[in-house]
Amino acid sequence: MTEDILTTLKILIIGESGVGKSSLLLRFTDDTFDPEIGATIGVDFKVKTLAVDGNRAKLAIWDTAGQERFRTLTPSYYRGAQGVILVYDVTRRETFAKLDNWLNELDTYCTRNDLVKMLVGNKIDKEDHELEREEGLKFARKHSMLFIEASAKTRDGVQCAFEELVEKILQTPGLWESVNKTRGVALSELSETGQGGCGAYCSLL
Amino acid sequence: MHLDRSKQRARMAADSDPESEVFEITDFTTASEWERFISRVEEVLNDWKLIGSRVRKPLQKGEITSGSWEEHTQEINFADFRFSITHHCLKQESAESQSREGAGEDVCPLALQDLLCVNNDFPPRAHCLVRWFGVREFLVISPGAHCEAVVSESKCNLLLSSVSIALANTGCLVPLFVQIQQKWRKMYAGECQGPGVHTDFEMVHLRKAPGQHTHLSGLLDIFKNKMSCPLTPLTPLPPISISIRFTFVLQDGQQCSWPQQPPDFYALLAGEVGGVEFGRLPFGACEDPISELHLATTWPNLTEGIVVDNDVYSDLDPLQAPHWSVRVRKADNPQCLLGEFLMEFFKLCCRKESTEEVLGRNPVEEEGTENSDITQALSKLTEPAAVPIHKLSVSSMVHSARRRMRRHRRAEESPLNSHVLNSILLYLFPDAALDKSDLSDVKSTQPSPGGTTEPDRESEDYHLYNQLKSAPSDSLTYRLALCVCVVNFHHGGVRAVAHLWQEFVLEMRYRWENNCLIYGLAGGAPDLRCCLLHQKLQMLNCCIERKRARDDGRKSGASDRSRLGPESAGPAEVSPGKSWDSWSDSEEEFFECLSDTEEMKDTESEKKAANKSRAEGRLQPHGKLTLLKSPEPLYIPVTQEPAPMTEDLLEEQSEVLAKLGTSAEGAHLRARMQSACLLSDMESFKAANPGCCLEDFVRWYSPRDYVEEEVDEVGQTVIRGDLSARMKIPGNMWVEAWETAKATPARRQKRLFDDTKEAEKVLHYLSQQKPSDLTRHLMPCVLHAALLKIKEEEESEDIASVRKALQQVTAHASKLLHHPNPDFKKLEDVIVQMSAEEAVIARARSLKAKFGIAGGEREEDADELQSIKSPLQVELRCTLDDYLPVFQSPTLDV
Repeated sequence: MTEDILTTLKILIIGESGVGKSSLLLRFTDDTFDPEIGATIGVDFKVKTLAVDGNRAKLAIWDTAGQERFRTLTPSYYRGAQGVILVYDVTRRETFAKLDNWLNELDTYCTRNDLVKMLVGNKIDKEDHELEREEGLKFARKHSMLFIEASAKTRDGVQCAFEELVEKILQTPGLWESVNKTRGVALSELSETGQGGCGAYCSLL
Repeated sequence: MHLDRSKQRARMAADSDPESEVFEITDFTTASEWERFISRVEEVLNDWKLIGSRVRKPLQKGEITSGSWEEHTQEINFADFRFSITHHCLKQESAESQSREGAGEDVCPLALQDLLCVNNDFPPRAHCLVRWFGVREFLVISPGAHCEAVVSESKCNLLLSSVSIALANTGCLVPLFVQIQQKWRKMYAGECQGPGVHTDFEMVHLRKAPGQHTHLSGLLDIFKNKMSCPLTPLTPLPPISISIRFTFVLQDGQQCSWPQQPPDFYALLAGEVGGVEFGRLPFGACEDPISELHLATTWPNLTEGIVVDNDVYSDLDPLQAPHWSVRVRKADNPQCLLGEFLMEFFKLCCRKESTEEVLGRNPVEEEGTENSDITQALSKLTEPAAVPIHKLSVSSMVHSARRRMRRHRRAEESPLNSHVLNSILLYLFPDAALDKSDLSDVKSTQPSPGGTTEPDRESEDYHLYNQLKSAPSDSLTYRLALCVCVVNFHHGGVRAVAHLWQEFVLEMRYRWENNCLIYGLAGGAPDLRCCLLHQKLQMLNCCIERKRARDDGRKSGASDRSRLGPESAGPAEVSPGKSWDSWSDSEEEFFECLSDTEEMKDTESEKKAANKSRAEGRLQPHGKLTLLKSPEPLYIPVTQEPAPMTEDLLEEQSEVLAKLGTSAEGAHLRARMQSACLLSDMESFKAANPGCCLEDFVRWYSPRDYVEEEVDEVGQTVIRGDLSARMKIPGNMWVEAWETAKATPARRQKRLFDDTKEAEKVLHYLSQQKPSDLTRHLMPCVLHAALLKIKEEEESEDIASVRKALQQVTAHASKLLHHPNPDFKKLEDVIVQMSAEEAVIARARSLKAKFGIAGGEREEDADELQSIKSPLQVELRCTLDDYLPVFQSPTLDV
C-alpha cells in the first residue's frame, strides 16, 4: 500500500473554538459523527490516504484547539503545512468575523507562502444560519482561497473539501515536490551558453 | 591528389556497363582497410540522408549567426585509427524549402551558392569553416579525441582521395572537409562535388605572411593566378568582388592598468585589523576579465578596382571603413574574489573532521582532573534530578579551563593569532567593549539589540532572510557567517574556523553563566523563519532572559511576593499563553529556588495564607465578570509563559505526537501530554480566584463552552448559564484536569520551561558542531550576504541582465534552502551562478574603464565619451553571450 504513495502532505485545520474542526476531521477520516466530541487540547493528529486523479497521497492532518489560550503554541505546528482548512460556523457570525485574525496568524507563522488555503463553512445542516453562502464566497475570493460549505453531521461536502484541497496542492508546482528541478536546469543552461566559436585569425586565402 | 579513383570507378562501373565482359567478376568486397574506410564514409552519408541535392532559400543577412546549428557526430575507423565525422547544418525553418529533388543535372551544389553569397561575409560567431567559406551545411572528418593529427602529406592525400571517392560514389553534394595538421592550426582541406562541378577547398597557413601577400593587390594576384590557370586563358576574368575586413586585436590587458580596487584583505594581511573588514565580502575580479578586444573594420562587397591597396599606397583607411564592429573576448574563468570566497567556504562542507580533530589534541582532555569535573558538572546540569545548581563552581571551573586552553594554544601556535581573534570577537560582540556599567544602559535603550549599523528594517533586502532561511543582516548569526568566511579564506582555513567556533561557543557559555544577554539577536521566541543556528542562539537568549528574570524576581520578590511573580519582570510576560509541551519536564524543579531559609519561611507563611483562601498571582480582573458562586470579581491569573521552541525541538515533538497514532487511546494520550499547560493554567486560576468552579474557568479560557440562555422562570426572564455539552462529557480531560488542579500560583508551580536544561542542551549542541556542520548552518547567511553584495555592486553599474539573473538565483536558492536537508550539490550551482554574475559585473567595469567612462578626470574627453556611451550600453547587455558585435556604425564613413 505504501509503495504507490506519491507524497505525504501536511494539512492543518484551524478556526475558532467550537466551529466543528474535530468533527469535520472525524467525518473525513472515520466517516462518523459524534455530537459530543471533547474540546481539543493542543493539537491532535490523524492520517488518511486519499486517491486523487489516480495519485495516492498520504495526508497527515493536524487538528488544532481553537481556544485563544492555546493559540500561542499552535502556530508552531503551522510549519511545513502544504494546505490549510480554515473553518467557520455558518450559525455564528463571530466565528466568521475572526477569520482575518486566523489568516494573519497563518501569514506570520507558516513557512511557505504558496500553501493552499480552503475556507469551509460548517454546520449547514442547522437551520438558524447567520451567514449566507455569498459572504463566504466573497471572503474566499478576496483571499484567493477554495471555498465550500459543509456539514460534518450530514457529511455534505466533507469528502469533497479534502479532495479539492489535495488536488489543488498536487497541481501547485513546487509545493509538494521536495525540490523543483526544472528551474535549476534552465539556469545552468543559461550560464553555459556562449562558449562556441573558434578564435583563429591568422589565416590567409 | 585523386590517386586511385579511376581504378575504383572502373570496378564500380563494371556491373552497369553492358559492353563489359560478361565473365568479369564484379567485386564489392571491401578488401583493404582503405576500401573499408571509404565504404564506411559512404554508409554514414547514406545514414544521414545527405545524398542528392536540395533546394533551400538563399541565406538571409546574418542568418548564419542568428540561426541555430545542428551537429551530428559519428566515429569511423581507418584501420585502428579513429576519426570522427561530423555534420554541421544550419537549421532552417520551413520544411518545404528543404524538399529534395531528384539529382537534376543542372543543380549547382548549395555550398557553391553559399560560397558566392555575400550576405553572410564575416559572421561574428560561427564555425571557422563557415567564417571562411560561408557554407551552411558541411561535413568534417577529423582525427578522434586522443589520436594524433594527420600531418604527413601522403596521409592527407589518402584521406582526401577517400573523400573524393565517397562523394562521387554517393552523389553527395555537401562539401566534406578533412582536418589536417595539428588541431590548433585549424587546417582543413575539402572537396565538394556536383554534377559537372568539382570544387576543392584549400588552405595555406603561414607563420608570417610574405610581404607581397599583405595587401589587396598581392592577394588578387594569387587569386587570379589560381583562377585563370584551368579556365580558358583567352577570355578575360570577370570582375572579382571583394569583401575586406581588418581586425585589430587589443590583447595585452596587463599593460593597461586594471581598475580593481585592492581588496580589503590586503589591509588585513598587513596586520591592520579592524572590526569593519569582517563585515564585508570582497568583490571583483583579480585579473582583467576581458582578455581581448577586437575591432573589425569592414568594407563589404567591393568590386575590384574601386579601391587601391598595394605595398606603397592604400585606400583602406580603417577610419573610413563603412562598417565597424567590436567584439569582446572574455577571459576563461576569471578569478573573482567573491566567487572564490564562496567556493572555499563551500568546500568546508565536505570536511569530516570534528573541531577537536582539526585543532589537534584536545586541550581540555589533557587536563585530566579538570576535565572530569567539567563533565560531571555538565551531567549534573542535564540530569533530571539535579536540584540545586552550583552555578558559581561550574562557571569558575570553565573559566579556569578556558584560561588554560588559551595558554595552551599560545604555546603551540594557535591557528588564529590573538590579534585577529580579538578583533573578530570585538566585531561579533561589540557590547563586550563597553563597560559593565554601560552595558545596562545599552540594554535599556536597545531592547532588541541590532548590529552596529541599523539597516532599514522595512526594506525588501532586509527581509531576504525570510526567503533564504538565513538570519537578519544585523544579527549575530549573520556576522558570524561573514567572519567564518573571512577566517577560512585568509586566516588559516579549517583550523582557524574550528578555533573561532570554539571561542564562540565558549563566549556563549560565558554569557549564559553570567546572565549576560547575547548581543545582536531579536528578542522573543526563536524565529522559525531563520536558520536553525540562529534559532538556537535565540533559544539560548530566551534561557538567559528567563534566568535573569528569575534571579531578579528572587532579589526583589522577597518583600512583596504576593503581587509580583517573577514572570512579571520579563518584558515578554505580557503575552499570555502556555506551553503544553513540556511534559518531558519530570524533575521536581520549581519556579522558585527554595535555597535560603528566609524564603522558605516566607513561602510557608504564604501557604498558610492560601489555605485561608487568600488569592495569589492575580494579573487583572477579567472585564466585569464575577465568580458564579461568589460576588468576587473573576481574575485572570499570572500564568507561565509558553516554552520557546526551535524547529528541531518542534519537529521532535510533532513526531512524538504523531507516533501515538490515530487510535482513541493515542488521541487521549496526546491530549494528556499536552494538558500540562492546561493544568498549570487551572492551578494559577484557582490560586487567583479562591472559591471558583470549572464554569468560571471555562468562561475565561474557552468562553464558547459556557452557554447562556434566557430562561423564563416564574414570569421573569433569567439568564442561565451552563457548560457546553462537550465539557460535560463524563471523564473528559478538562474535568479531569480541573479536579486534579491544586490552587498554586504560577511562580510556585513546576516550571513548564526549564531554562537551565534547555540552555545546556543548546550549548552542548553548539559544541558538538563540526566545522562542516557549522558551514552548513551558516551557508544560508553566506549566500544571503553574497546576494546582497552582488546586488549592491550591480546597483552602481545598472545591468539589467544581472538583476534578472539575481532574482532567479534568489528564487532557486530559496527553494533549495527551505528544504529540510538542502542538496549541497545544487547549492554549489547557486554559487557558480553567483560567481558568473560577479564576473559579468567585473567585465562591465573593465569595459567602462577601457573606454574611459569610469575615469571622469579627463574633462576634455567628456564629449567624446558621451558619444561612445550609448553603444557601450549595448555591449553590456551582450556580455552574457560571447563575441557579439558591439556597435555597428555604418554612418562612420564621413
